[in-house]
Amino acid sequence: MTALRACAVACGAILLVAAGSSLADDQQPSGAMWDFLRAKYYGNRPMGLVDETYMSLEVPSNTPDPAATPLTLRFADDPAARIKRVRVFVDNNPSPLVATFELGDPPVTQIDLRVRIDRFTSVRAVAEKSDGGLEMRSAWVKASGGCSVPPSAAAGGTLGEVRLRPGEDAKSLLVSIRHPNSSGFQIDPRTGDNIPAHYISHIRIEAGGRALLDAETGISVSENPTLRIGSDQSLPAPVTVDAVDSVTQAHFTASTSSPRTAATELPAPANGRR
Amino acid sequence: MGGADRPIAFRALLATALLAATVLLDGAGEGDALAVEELAAGVYVHRGAQLPLDAPGHDDIANIGFIVGSRCVAVIDTGGSVRIGRALRAAIRRRTALPICYVINTHVHVDHVLGNRAFKDDGASFVGHAALAPAIVRSRPYFVKEYAQDLDAPAEPDEVIGPDRLVDAELTLDLGQRQLTLHAWPTAHTDCDLTVYDQKTSTLWTGDLLFVERLPALDGSLVGWIDAVDRLAEHHVKLVVPGHGPPTAHPGEAFARERVYLESLLQGVRRELSAGKSQQDAMLHVGADQKSGWLLWQEVHPRNVARAYEELEWEK
Repeated sequence: MTALRACAVACGAILLVAAGSSLADDQQPSGAMWDFLRAKYYGNRPMGLVDETYMSLEVPSNTPDPAATPLTLRFADDPAARIKRVRVFVDNNPSPLVATFELGDPPVTQIDLRVRIDRFTSVRAVAEKSDGGLEMRSAWVKASGGCSVPPSAAAGGTLGEVRLRPGEDAKSLLVSIRHPNSSGFQIDPRTGDNIPAHYISHIRIEAGGRALLDAETGISVSENPTLRIGSDQSLPAPVTVDAVDSVTQAHFTASTSSPRTAATELPAPANGRR
Repeated sequence: MGGADRPIAFRALLATALLAATVLLDGAGEGDALAVEELAAGVYVHRGAQLPLDAPGHDDIANIGFIVGSRCVAVIDTGGSVRIGRALRAAIRRRTALPICYVINTHVHVDHVLGNRAFKDDGASFVGHAALAPAIVRSRPYFVKEYAQDLDAPAEPDEVIGPDRLVDAELTLDLGQRQLTLHAWPTAHTDCDLTVYDQKTSTLWTGDLLFVERLPALDGSLVGWIDAVDRLAEHHVKLVVPGHGPPTAHPGEAFARERVYLESLLQGVRRELSAGKSQQDAMLHVGADQKSGWLLWQEVHPRNVARAYEELEWEK
C-alpha cells in the first residue's frame, strides 16, 4: 500500500515533468529541490499521496499577491491516524520550509496562513501521523517576486500588536500579528541596502491550558503574519497566543478568556517595539 | 458549419483590424500618432482599451491626453510604454506647436507613467502628488524588470521619470488663459492619487479614483477610496474623464456605481473578519453579487478582496 503510494508520487512527478517539458525551465516543478528537501527532512521514509478527504491543500494557482498568497490546509479528524506534525514547503523559495506545525488538542482540522512565493513553484504540505506514516499534498503556483517585493507602504502600526478573532462557537481562532516579517531578500529602494531578515520565529497557541498548536515559522511567511486555526470542537477557554521575534526574542502575547468577547490585546513587551 | 461561418468571421476580423488601425494610429507623419478625441474645447483624450495588465496591448489601457492653453500644453498621464508616450506626443504635435510645459501623472501605476520618457527632451516639468516621488523610487526596480519591453532598450531605471514638482494639497497651473487645479488626495486607489480640474470647460480628470465599466482595482486604502469618491461626487462638473472607461457627462451615476462596489467590498470583508474567517473564505464569499456589469472581474476582484482584508485586519 505505502509502496504503491510512493510509486504514485514518483510516477506523478515524472508525468508532471513530461507535461511541463514544453514550458520554460522556470515553470517546471523543481524535482531536484524536492528530492533534496525530502531526503533532508524525511530520509528514506515512504510517503503517501492521500486523498482530499484526509488532507487537502488549497493555494490559488494564480495568486492575487505573490507576497501574500493565501494557503489553506484541511485535515480529517481520524482518531486512528491523527496528524501530529505538518510541514509546509515552497520548493523554489530561498528558504523552502515555511513552517512546522506540531498539533495538539483538540485536534486541529484547518490551518490558514499567507505565504511568500518567490517564483513558479510547487507548494507542499507533508503530514506525519501518530502511526509514523507520512502523507503529502502539493499544488502548483504561478507567481514570482514574493520574497523580494519591497515592504508595503501601508505596513506600519505597532510592531508586535496581536489581534485575535474567535469564530462561530469558538471553533476557530484568527490570529493577526503586526510584524514586517522581512525575508532578508528585500531591498530598501531609498538606500539600495538589503533589509535584514526579521521575522516571527515561533507561534504557540494554547487552549484551556494545553498546547493546541506549536509552530516554527520562517521568512516565507508574509508581512503581518496571519494564522487561522480551525477545529471540529470548541476551543476551550482561555485561548492564548505567544509569538516570538527572531531578532529581539521578544514575546508578543494575547489571550481571549471568553470565546465570544471582542479581541483582546495585551501590550507587546517594551523591547519588542520599534 | 465552420465553413459557412468562416467568411463572416473573416469579415468581422477584417473590420476589427481596420477599426483597431484607425483607433490606434491616426495616420503616419511625425511617428505614429495616437487617436485622440477633443472632448471639450482644447481638452483631448485618448481612450485606453479595457484589457488586462498582462495582455498584448497592455501598454494602452489607460485614458491619457492633454489640455491646450494659449501659452502651452499640459499632458495628463503618458501611457504604459515609451512607445505610447511618443504616439501621444505625435498627436499633440499634429494639433499644436505650443510647448509642452507640464507632464502631470495622476498616480504611480505603469499604465499611466511609463510614457513619461517620451517628454523628457521637451523641458517640461513633471508634476505629481507629493507621495508620487517615493512611490516611483519604490517601483522603479520592479518596472525595469517586469516592463522592460515597454521601455527603450536597454531598460534603465532613469527612464522611469518621477515628478520634479510636487503637490502637497492643491496647486494651480496656468497654461495661458486656462487654469488647471490639481488636488492631491489622501491614500485611496493608491497612496499618490492626483485629480486635475480644467476650470475653463469644467472637466475633471479623476485618474484611477474613478473606473467606468472596468472593475476598480484597489492598491491603496478601501476606506480612503470611499471617502474620496464621496467628496468627488459632491463637485458639480460638466465632464469627467475617468482613468479607465468612457468619459461621461453624468459623473454622478459613475461615482455611485463605483461606490456600490467599494462599499460591498468594505462591508463584506468586515463581516468575514468579525466572524473570524480566513482570507481564502473572504475571497470566496465577498462581493459575488456585484459581478454583473463589470469588466475583468476574475482578474481584479480576488485581489481587491485580499487587499481589503489585509487593510481591514488592522482597522481601529
